Amino acid sequence: MERRDRTDHGEDRRAAPDGTDRFERELTRLMHRARQPVPFEVRHREALRAGVRARRRVRAARRAAGSVLAAAGLGLGLFLWPHGHTADRPTAPRPRPALSPAPAPSTSPSRSPSGTPGPPPSSSSSPSSTPTSTPTSTPSSTPTSTPTGLPSPGDTATTSAPPTAPESSTTATQRPPTATARGDSTTPPATATASD
Amino acid sequence: MEQTRAGEYDAFVAARWSVLFHLARLLTGGDRHRAEDLLQESLVKLWFVWPRVADEAPEAYVRKVLARAAARSARRRWWGERPVEELPEVAVSGDVSATVAERSRLEAALAQLTPRQRAAVVLRYYQDLPDRQVAEALGCPVGTARSHAARGVARLRGLLADVIEPVG
Repeated sequence: MERRDRTDHGEDRRAAPDGTDRFERELTRLMHRARQPVPFEVRHREALRAGVRARRRVRAARRAAGSVLAAAGLGLGLFLWPHGHTADRPTAPRPRPALSPAPAPSTSPSRSPSGTPGPPPSSSSSPSSTPTSTPTSTPSSTPTSTPTGLPSPGDTATTSAPPTAPESSTTATQRPPTATARGDSTTPPATATASD
Repeated sequence: MEQTRAGEYDAFVAARWSVLFHLARLLTGGDRHRAEDLLQESLVKLWFVWPRVADEAPEAYVRKVLARAAARSARRRWWGERPVEELPEVAVSGDVSATVAERSRLEAALAQLTPRQRAAVVLRYYQDLPDRQVAEALGCPVGTARSHAARGVARLRGLLADVIEPVG
């Protein structure tokens, strides 16, 4: 399609492109002829400057509002950021499964056969120590106290063991006062611990 | 720097005001006040991009902003009924020139087109832009712009039949 050079001046250069009929050419001519000269007045200039100032203010306000919103969002995000007690708990157990599977399978089978006679260092000590300590402490304390308190050995073994076995800590402390009333040498340290 | 920019801008606006105002008036279907508002808005936008477009094609930028703003604002508002000072159907009296009568008929006919048809027709026949540039100014495909222009012209044929006499 042919492109004409003129933009809007000169109605004599209204050569129509190919394919346009007379109506279109007349329409072009009519549109150009309808133009009446309108001077650029002072009020137009003032209105333009006022519009530029208003748009500049709008832009500045929009920019300020944007920065305020960004700062508020950042502050809110930092305020709601999980920190302190909530952050430590999930992160604490996580390193353990990652680190323990490598040393754990190698140490636990090797130590379990050899660790039964000797004291295992960390993990196996807690299950093994509690069963060993409770039976050893209660029978060891009752035989030592019963020979002194009670004259017959057969009665003291049956009667004293059942009450001390279920009550692990309280009966061990309460026993010595009863034994001290009757006993001679072992009672003074027991009464001192019971009273304190 | 700012003074130079303002001087160049003022010179451009003063030189092209009449042409751009007529374009805005055609794009609005003859609404003088709306045309002024549209042109003001477009020239304010031009001020903020003036350093970029001053050496290239400031008028093309204004034309594009005008055409798109005319189509957009007309879509928001109903312009089907438009109060006019003079009825275009009134018979031309002796003291009114033929040019004014023609302009009134042309603006009244353009006002009956849809905004996009009007913009396509004005850009095509007043600004003498090829279809590709019309489509670029309107922000639509070339086929759509061509279709808008063709339908607009077909509508204008019926509306301006007595102004533009067909050749026998």
